[in-house]
Amino acid sequence: MTSGPLPRRLGTVVAGGRGRAFLPVVGAAAVILVIPQIWFAGSEYTTGLAVQALEFAAYAVGFNLIFGSTNQLFLCVGALAGLGGYATGILSDHASLPIWVGIAVGTAVAAGVGGLLSWIAVRRSLGVIFTGIVTLAFSLGFQDLLLGQEHLTGGSTGQVVNGAAVSLADTRLGGYYLFAAVVIAFLVVFRVLQISHVGWAFRALRDDETAAELAGVNVARYRIYAALVGSAMIGLTGALYAYSDGFISPPVFAFDQIDVKVLVLVAFGGLGTLLGPLIGAVVFAFVDNALVNSGQVRELIYGAIVVVIFLSFRGGFVPAVVNLAGGLARQRPAQGE
Amino acid sequence: MWAQQARRALLRGPSAHRQVAPDQSAAGGIVPLLQAEAITKHFGNVFAVEDVTFRVGDGEIVAVVGPNGAGKSTLLKMIAGLERPTSGQVRLAGRLVHARVPHQVRRQGISIVMQTPLTFTSMTVLDNATLGAMFGPGHGVLTERRARQRAADSLAFVGLAQRADDPVASLNLHQQRFLELAKALAGGPRLLLLDEVMAGLNETEIAASVQIVRSVRDELGVTILWVEHVMSAVIELAERVIVLNFGKVLAEGTPKAVMRHPEVIDAYLGKAHIA
Repeated sequence: MTSGPLPRRLGTVVAGGRGRAFLPVVGAAAVILVIPQIWFAGSEYTTGLAVQALEFAAYAVGFNLIFGSTNQLFLCVGALAGLGGYATGILSDHASLPIWVGIAVGTAVAAGVGGLLSWIAVRRSLGVIFTGIVTLAFSLGFQDLLLGQEHLTGGSTGQVVNGAAVSLADTRLGGYYLFAAVVIAFLVVFRVLQISHVGWAFRALRDDETAAELAGVNVARYRIYAALVGSAMIGLTGALYAYSDGFISPPVFAFDQIDVKVLVLVAFGGLGTLLGPLIGAVVFAFVDNALVNSGQVRELIYGAIVVVIFLSFRGGFVPAVVNLAGGLARQRPAQGE
Repeated sequence: MWAQQARRALLRGPSAHRQVAPDQSAAGGIVPLLQAEAITKHFGNVFAVEDVTFRVGDGEIVAVVGPNGAGKSTLLKMIAGLERPTSGQVRLAGRLVHARVPHQVRRQGISIVMQTPLTFTSMTVLDNATLGAMFGPGHGVLTERRARQRAADSLAFVGLAQRADDPVASLNLHQQRFLELAKALAGGPRLLLLDEVMAGLNETEIAASVQIVRSVRDELGVTILWVEHVMSAVIELAERVIVLNFGKVLAEGTPKAVMRHPEVIDAYLGKAHIA
């Protein structure tokens, strides 16, 4: 009876018990925590790449929650991360507050700004493209703000973060486990949302907003929820970057350094999927490293990857490969009969 | 029999038991479920609906008919919250609904089934109905387990139980409209708006649809306001008919009386036919 591709069964994960819904997260956590011991614990360089992969995975989970779940194209991941990072740096440096206060405030500020941008998009009924334009404008403005407020941010020179855990950066492995914990926590939050009524609302409004409204889903409210939680994740990651690295500057949070890469890896791993951002981040970290000497060509390649993925693999490259493999696996037993 | 009764009780659910304060100021002390008072809708200089007033009693099946462009669908969309009236009021059991957005209207107890089904195409049939139950009228958000029970019951009611695990794309137009109906019923509405749900169906499908719509009212107690072009179905099913033409009410009454009305014949067939 069902000849086409199988639809997403929203209840599948729940039908097998809520515990089973978290199996992918547990599996991913086990791999993340064990892999340094069996692969790269001795290599500082590879550990550094792995830290970068986890950092981008954390950004990507937040972005995936906003764009992948609710169709809000937030082209300001770098700016939201910068809000977290600079709030941490400024409060610890200028206000001499404990570093954790800066991290908490940075996370809250990023969440507030993300929620505000979403509220504006909802109130003005902005579609995907116009939301992208507004958030990109915010992103570019934020860079100018960082450069202009030199007395607070250090301008283009950057800023040393007082109280940062520089030892994490020294050993690298400490930074790895810090971001590993963050990514695992974000995946748990993402999964909790996915299997609750919030996840149902996200899927509904992503499928068809008018149909979702007519089914009783408050589309505006769930969009703002997604933006608040996703932006908090991004802001926290930026704040922890400042905490672990000990130094921040405008290029660290620039559009081409964060947003382009996050967009590529989420599109590669699969929009709206649980583990797609993590898989995308790991693959991307090593591809990015391989292209490190390619100069401007690297940006061109990333642009081409995004175009190809959005034209040919709308759901993401990894889900397309998984579906293809699943289709082939189903065909084999049929041929055997 | 007891199982059927239990299913109906479940489908009626919270909305059937909700007590909405009646509007004691209504004429005669009898409160109509739906009141539209002088509602008007302009699109620029074009009057889609102009000064339309009507009432629908609790448990009635009322059809709205009229030529293309008469304003029928706009009228339903205003009641469902998809369009905002330029002026006038819509009340459900005495409470204003016209200024609300669709999810609020739905939660107040009004569901709509559109001519073009608005299904969630990436989900299964059961998941579609589950969404309808989960965020349905008046009861906050149902747990997934309860929502699935209600969804399964509503699918059984419209005859789609066997297709629960199928993708929506595998359903034909007729079945997709039944799925829309199941999605609406899963939330336990008080008033169901049907927008030309029999358009494009063959005679067998129309007969099946008439049967289901009648069951919705008779067995679930849901009031129905129904825009339709298929006059044979209207005559068979509707207790009262409102005729719209150029956005205004042309006639109102029983189906047979309305069909004999000279102005209605004129609107549908032209003056030459009367002469």
